[in-house]
Amino acid sequence: MLLTLLLLPNISNANTCNNKTEINTCVQVFVKSKTGQELGDLVVYLEPLDGQVLDKSHKEVVVGQRDKSFTPYITVSQTNSKVNFVNQDNITHHIYSAESENKFSFKIRAGTTHSLTQFDQANEIAMGCNIHDWMSGYLLVVNTPYFDKTDELGQVSFNLAKKGKYKVVVWHPQMQAENNRMIMEQDITKHNTFTFTLKNELESIPTQESDDDFEFLSDY
Amino acid sequence: MNKIGVNIFLALLVFFQLQNSQAAEFTAHGIVDLRVSQVSSSDKSYLTGGQGKFALADGLQFSIAQAGADLSVTWDNGLSAHGVVNAFLKGTGDGESSVANITEVYFKYRTLPSASGYRLQTRVGIFYPDISLENNAYAWASKDTLNSSTINTWIGEEIRVLGSEFKLTRLGRMNDDAFDLSLSATAFVNNDPTGALLAWHGWTTSSRQTLWTEKRIFPWFPALEDGQALAGQARKSDPFLEIDDRIGYHVRGEWLLHRKGELSAGYYDNRATPYIVIDGQYAWRTRFFHLGTRWKFNRNVTLVAQYLSGDTLMQSHLKEDVVNNDYTSAFISLTYKWQQLIGNKKHRSTIRLEDFSIRDNDNTWGDNNNEDGQALTLSHSYRFTKHWLLLAEFNYIDSHRPARYYTHQAVDLVEKQLQLAARYFF
Repeated sequence: MLLTLLLLPNISNANTCNNKTEINTCVQVFVKSKTGQELGDLVVYLEPLDGQVLDKSHKEVVVGQRDKSFTPYITVSQTNSKVNFVNQDNITHHIYSAESENKFSFKIRAGTTHSLTQFDQANEIAMGCNIHDWMSGYLLVVNTPYFDKTDELGQVSFNLAKKGKYKVVVWHPQMQAENNRMIMEQDITKHNTFTFTLKNELESIPTQESDDDFEFLSDY
Repeated sequence: MNKIGVNIFLALLVFFQLQNSQAAEFTAHGIVDLRVSQVSSSDKSYLTGGQGKFALADGLQFSIAQAGADLSVTWDNGLSAHGVVNAFLKGTGDGESSVANITEVYFKYRTLPSASGYRLQTRVGIFYPDISLENNAYAWASKDTLNSSTINTWIGEEIRVLGSEFKLTRLGRMNDDAFDLSLSATAFVNNDPTGALLAWHGWTTSSRQTLWTEKRIFPWFPALEDGQALAGQARKSDPFLEIDDRIGYHVRGEWLLHRKGELSAGYYDNRATPYIVIDGQYAWRTRFFHLGTRWKFNRNVTLVAQYLSGDTLMQSHLKEDVVNNDYTSAFISLTYKWQQLIGNKKHRSTIRLEDFSIRDNDNTWGDNNNEDGQALTLSHSYRFTKHWLLLAEFNYIDSHRPARYYTHQAVDLVEKQLQLAARYFF
């Protein structure tokens, strides 16, 4: 608890709009559970609604495989960005998405990177591994450079280059809501703070763990 | 089939390697199991034609209980080729001679799941039907104990097929279910004499697997003598033969609850014609069903249990029953991982209890196959380094077997052994 308090100022600086020298419009988004608890690792993104032309995101998009799990569980990317799959394990994985619009599959050897560039539509893509069935991860492709995941205090902030109307969206694959998301449409002209409170608790996130931790199993 | 089979396999490997422009990945895994056993059982083990239920006979014995390699080539399109080779080297005392050969050779093809979560997997070749819940380490080694249960020692000894298996799996993750369902069906040949060794030495426990094309000896009994009902039977049984050109089958269903465990049930029938004999090897009509569960109660405690029950029939050319047996075996085992107490994941303990029986339903003179027994196994494993595991195991079998009378041994016998092993996995 003490540690949390000590770390608090740093963490909040990273994801809040405290920096008064910032010339852009800053938007801060809080996500809370039904019972008021801060929720981390939910995706928040802002889609322009007034035809604002925005620069493309330069964030590096990485879908890691570590300890036979998708790490992170959720990755966000802008459309037409390069998505790098990085296998940090010492075994091969066989990554796939089975959905018809976003079907792909490839084998990725230990320690290698495989990049995909075909994601030209906004979509949520569920991924698995055909060797390790318990592995489960998501790639959310959005049509905006303004995307991030909430920190452990349930907050995230964006410096917008263009004012105007935006659709503010919170998404999580386990959110019990229509299309797993909550949406607010907002005219953003100055520093704004929005708080989303989930109507239902998140469904439990699948543990990406084999039933058997014995290392020398002959299975597939 | 042995040399031809291996040659076909190698030819296919080369063919696929040349045809397939995609990169292939080679992997080699395996196990070496060095063992010291203090045995109190019988002067001859079942592996050398005696009545002892363990791999080795009385005394302090040293052996390389298993040296196995699991080799595979996997292509990017989902196809893979697997070859498993096992060697069982001569132990001290009355240990059987050293042997080495393939135990499994097959191609496997696994499709990607469809959008609705259905996936098909095919295996073609020589393989174990999916029955054992213990022998899932490399080269079919048992994972939690040194000796397999009596059920899976028998599977390793007499159940192997040349066939095609089709397995349809419905993955829960595409259907918002916490469980996967699988159904598999296998059509096979080359398992007609199965049942003979179980009838003639009863249930046993070891880590020995029968190699492909290997013949196995069994104890002497009076009905083998000239003029008796089984005079035409060879002195060694060759379990992986096709005698009557009839195709057998195995079906299995599995319900797997994510992160908890699985329940499975299956049925095996070799559909052999029980009155055909070729070169002293009879076809035995062998059928059984099996039930199994693996269940993780919490992070430390896992239950594994299996039940197998069936019958076997072998007849004279006049279609009179010569051997007609019902058999049943069941075990329940609990494995405890000492994560909290010792603070690491290096220690595991297993206790296994078994009950087994064979009921002889025929009237053949000099061939009593009845048996009744119980077994206890206590095993502890310590992962010494990444690749070396040290194990200590105590095995106890109490059995009533009238056939031991034929070789002047006690019908009621308690057998015990203590084993220490160093197992190297790679």
